[in-house]
Amino acid sequence: MVESELTPRGWLRKQAEGVRGWLLIATLAGIVAGLLTLAQMGLLAWTISRLIEGVDSPATLGGVFLGLIGVIVLRCVAQWGQESAALEASLRVRARVRSALLDHLGALGPVRLGDRHSAGLAGQLVDQVEALEGHFARFLPQLRLTLVLPLIILAVVAWLDWLAALFLLLAAPLIPLFMALVGMGAERLNREQFVAVTRLAGQFLDRVRGLTTLQLFNRAESTVDEVFTAADDYRARSMRTLRLAFLSSAVLEFFASVAIAVVAIYIGFGLLGYIAFGPADELTLFSGLFILLLAPEFFQPLRTLSQHYHDRAAALGAADGLVTLLKLPAPSAQAATRQRMNKAAVRLSRLCVSHPGRGRVLGPLDLTVTAGECIVLVGPSGAGKSTLLQVLAGFVEIESGEADVPSSAIAWMDQRPWLVQGSLADNLRLVAPDADQARLLDAAERAGLGELLASLPDGLQTPLGERGMGLSGGQAQRLALARVFLSRARLVLLDEPTANLDRASEARIVASLQALQDEGRTLIVATHHPALMAMADRVLTIDAGLVSADTRGANVTAH
Amino acid sequence: MSRPTKTTLASEFRPWLRVLDWRRRRLWKGAGLMLLTVIAAIGLLALSGWFITATAIAGVLAAAGVAISLGVYIPGGGIRLFAVLRTGARYLERIYNHDTVLRLLADLRANLFAVLIRLDGRELARLRAAEWLNRLTADIDTLDGLYLRLLAPPLVALVAIVAVSALLGFFAPWVGGAVLLALLALWTWLVLGQSWLGMAPSQRRVATLDRLRMRAIEQLQGLAELRCYRTLTEHRHTLEAEEDALYADQRRLGRRQALGSALVSLGVGLSAVLALWLAAEAHIGERLSGPLTVMMPLAVLALNEALASLPMAFTQLGATRAAARRLNELAALRGAIGESESPEEIAESGALSASLDDVSLHYLKGHADSLPPALDNVSLTLAPGERLALVGASGAGKSSVAQLLVRLIEPTTGKVSVGGQDVRQLSPVALRGRIGYLTQQVELFHDSLATNLRLANPEASDAELWNALELVELEGWAQALPQGLETWVGESGRQLSGGQARRVALARVLLTDADLLILDEPFAGLDEATATSIAARLDGWFGERSVLYLAHDDTGLPGVNRTLRLHEGRLG
Repeated sequence: MVESELTPRGWLRKQAEGVRGWLLIATLAGIVAGLLTLAQMGLLAWTISRLIEGVDSPATLGGVFLGLIGVIVLRCVAQWGQESAALEASLRVRARVRSALLDHLGALGPVRLGDRHSAGLAGQLVDQVEALEGHFARFLPQLRLTLVLPLIILAVVAWLDWLAALFLLLAAPLIPLFMALVGMGAERLNREQFVAVTRLAGQFLDRVRGLTTLQLFNRAESTVDEVFTAADDYRARSMRTLRLAFLSSAVLEFFASVAIAVVAIYIGFGLLGYIAFGPADELTLFSGLFILLLAPEFFQPLRTLSQHYHDRAAALGAADGLVTLLKLPAPSAQAATRQRMNKAAVRLSRLCVSHPGRGRVLGPLDLTVTAGECIVLVGPSGAGKSTLLQVLAGFVEIESGEADVPSSAIAWMDQRPWLVQGSLADNLRLVAPDADQARLLDAAERAGLGELLASLPDGLQTPLGERGMGLSGGQAQRLALARVFLSRARLVLLDEPTANLDRASEARIVASLQALQDEGRTLIVATHHPALMAMADRVLTIDAGLVSADTRGANVTAH
Repeated sequence: MSRPTKTTLASEFRPWLRVLDWRRRRLWKGAGLMLLTVIAAIGLLALSGWFITATAIAGVLAAAGVAISLGVYIPGGGIRLFAVLRTGARYLERIYNHDTVLRLLADLRANLFAVLIRLDGRELARLRAAEWLNRLTADIDTLDGLYLRLLAPPLVALVAIVAVSALLGFFAPWVGGAVLLALLALWTWLVLGQSWLGMAPSQRRVATLDRLRMRAIEQLQGLAELRCYRTLTEHRHTLEAEEDALYADQRRLGRRQALGSALVSLGVGLSAVLALWLAAEAHIGERLSGPLTVMMPLAVLALNEALASLPMAFTQLGATRAAARRLNELAALRGAIGESESPEEIAESGALSASLDDVSLHYLKGHADSLPPALDNVSLTLAPGERLALVGASGAGKSSVAQLLVRLIEPTTGKVSVGGQDVRQLSPVALRGRIGYLTQQVELFHDSLATNLRLANPEASDAELWNALELVELEGWAQALPQGLETWVGESGRQLSGGQARRVALARVLLTDADLLILDEPFAGLDEATATSIAARLDGWFGERSVLYLAHDDTGLPGVNRTLRLHEGRLG
């Protein structure tokens, strides 16, 4: 899917190919705008020369003035078209990249992403994708214009007066060389700035995050000065490098300014007849003015490009992070779900799972679970209980063997109840978007949330605070359980569902799970808690990735 | 949302303009340099046009045999001067203004930090949960451009417009007046019109981006559930809906900004044509010389550079406004912790007593009625020298008890006392100076091990640091580090394992030499052997000190005299 030697640069290039059309429109519109600028300057120079030479008066040039206005208006339209088309390219690239990332993250699944901070990943998904904006909206179209427009202008100037064109060419010996100079300076500057700014922002955030600790040690007041000093130190240090780095664009400015001055003086002296060689004696007021007006335009694309260089640096930085993420290999999930189901809810045969760097963590393992059974997995932590559940859920890749699990929805619940910002109803509907109010209430009731709901004036519409603050651990877990009731999944996977709960909460969860089993659902639970073990039909002891004991549970013995 | 009006915009920016005001002289100088750059660019083009025309006319006359005297060296020198001036002024301006912006950044950060330290534990927890803190730096970065994007450029453009008009008006009042009117109209549109066009979408964009981020976090956190329940696609639709809304606004903004840029070209181009027309009329009427006639449209054309940055800055004004508003809200938050008029010191010396007297605590102010309280009529007493274990599930309210004792939060009702005195009468500095609190969440700073430890006691000698490390059995580990105490412990202590970070934090608390210790899960994440061994060392070190343990259960905690169980905010 993604080649391993994908570089950030190569990846950016590939993204640009996807919006080739829009970028082409932007470039063409830019070239049209450039040609119209040429026309505007030419008309202006011609009109001026006719007026000054006394050939025409404003009144007789009415048509030309109108034409001039028309050219200016058209040029603005072309400019607008360039910016709008480039914007469209940038929007489409970002939407596409984000969609690809979401696909990839979904395919990686919760286990592969387990060691990554979700806020950090979300930052990549949102901010790094947005950081691609300027590269496509500004830098790329401008880069292409910089390759074309100066050449066109140079050709026109050379046609008017080859010596003046030579001055322009000498001022910018070789445009690629110039661009490299600007690029290197700007790129180094941007890289250093980027790193330094990020580090400084990190330090600041570090202090802000640790504010409670600072308060507890009575150090908050003195940290205010520290924050200022750190930022000011950074300023002093970065100014040293900036003085040098800004020089590269100053050189560009210098050549642009000097070229205009040299051209102006050359034309002036040529018109006075002081220059006895070359094409100077053919200069007229028209050609002189035209050349003068074109001189700044010759350098303008390059100056604009150097202004947009930080867009490229930002995009490269973001691409670096995104490519690293996209390169993470996703588990091939198709091995985990195959439909050859008869009566068994789950069948594993000769199943083996390996984790990179840890070797085999599970198997070879054979297991058949009949529909409606309640299986409890016990064993020391790290023995492979969670891995087994993850295999059944399709989160991890199978090394060898076969796993037959339902391809339809599975109910999942672990020790960390997942809550989203929104109402209680929103939180329930995550697993059943179309469920009506009655079903929601029923599920909440059966999960033991009835008492809480009765005490809430807004019932299911009660909003949960940030990250569901306001619910106790037990209540949050019951909310997760209500999702299980709400879903129609026949297979229910539970990973330590009562790990962080006190005994009373645990008892309520156990009662609800019993109700689930009575509905005929198949339960597979990993746990350490005796209360949960007591409800098992079968207790599987897992040790070092193998089933070391398969005993009939207390539930069965009791019957 | 109410329609944004001028007055509220001004009031939202006022606090930040006040921060800028500290650096008034620098800001004026920076704007002056910017103006010089623009003037040099205008001078270069205008004078060149004048010079070429003058030489052309002189050339024609000379060819016709008329004797002419045209001083070519003064205008030639002027052209070279403007060329060098433009380069130099631009370079200096970039250096100078960059320096200014970095100074402003330092001011803004320090300013904001001073606001944050006044917040109480509950507000901080709420902000942390809302990822607000992560947005802080972005908001500050947006605001530090206030001067460089929104204040200096329009001012410089305005002065340049007036200066060019005055120059033209000096030779031909009609031309000057017409150009002034046309360009002022353009300037007004760019500043007010573009702001108006972009205000709503650019403000909305900031909020939508936040929601998109929130949905992304949700989806990543809920990947297991969403995949199992087969509802990933549905949740992705909600995320994509936010993205669509975001991009609709960005498209709107981008197009309006492009309109602004096109209008700059149009306005300047048409003004130049207007200047040429009127100047040519004057020229025909022999009221204006040829070279001056040519100078006029060229001077106007050069104004393009001064106006070019305005459309982007003002179309996106709403984003800066949203950042200012968010930071204003932060500044408006008042921690519930008020200082007493005459704060007292703690009279009790040696081991401290502490008590909660019928204390209730509601988590969210707005939900006081609907959601259960974090603490419900809790009364407990810790005698001097006692070691009390407060046990319960996470979320049972243990941390709230600790936060009340160090006055990071205030109770909704009831009284909290330390050393027999109401904590409200005590100065927070005195209170926290006598209590050492190991929080549940370990916060180590991006700094050296020594600096992290010395937070607790800036005067501590190296020997004392080693002593504290020995108590948590990290002495050997630290000695083995190539840089010893100077080892960088990294952002949020990530270079350390969870258990090591916890022990460093514990060592830090021990360095306070406090008379009351509150330890939240002191041995979490440690293997049993290490935990037992550290517990034995601590048992001796605690001596007569009062200790309050917060834990899931009391096994392994050294020397517990009494255990209290907390369940959903109630003692039982």
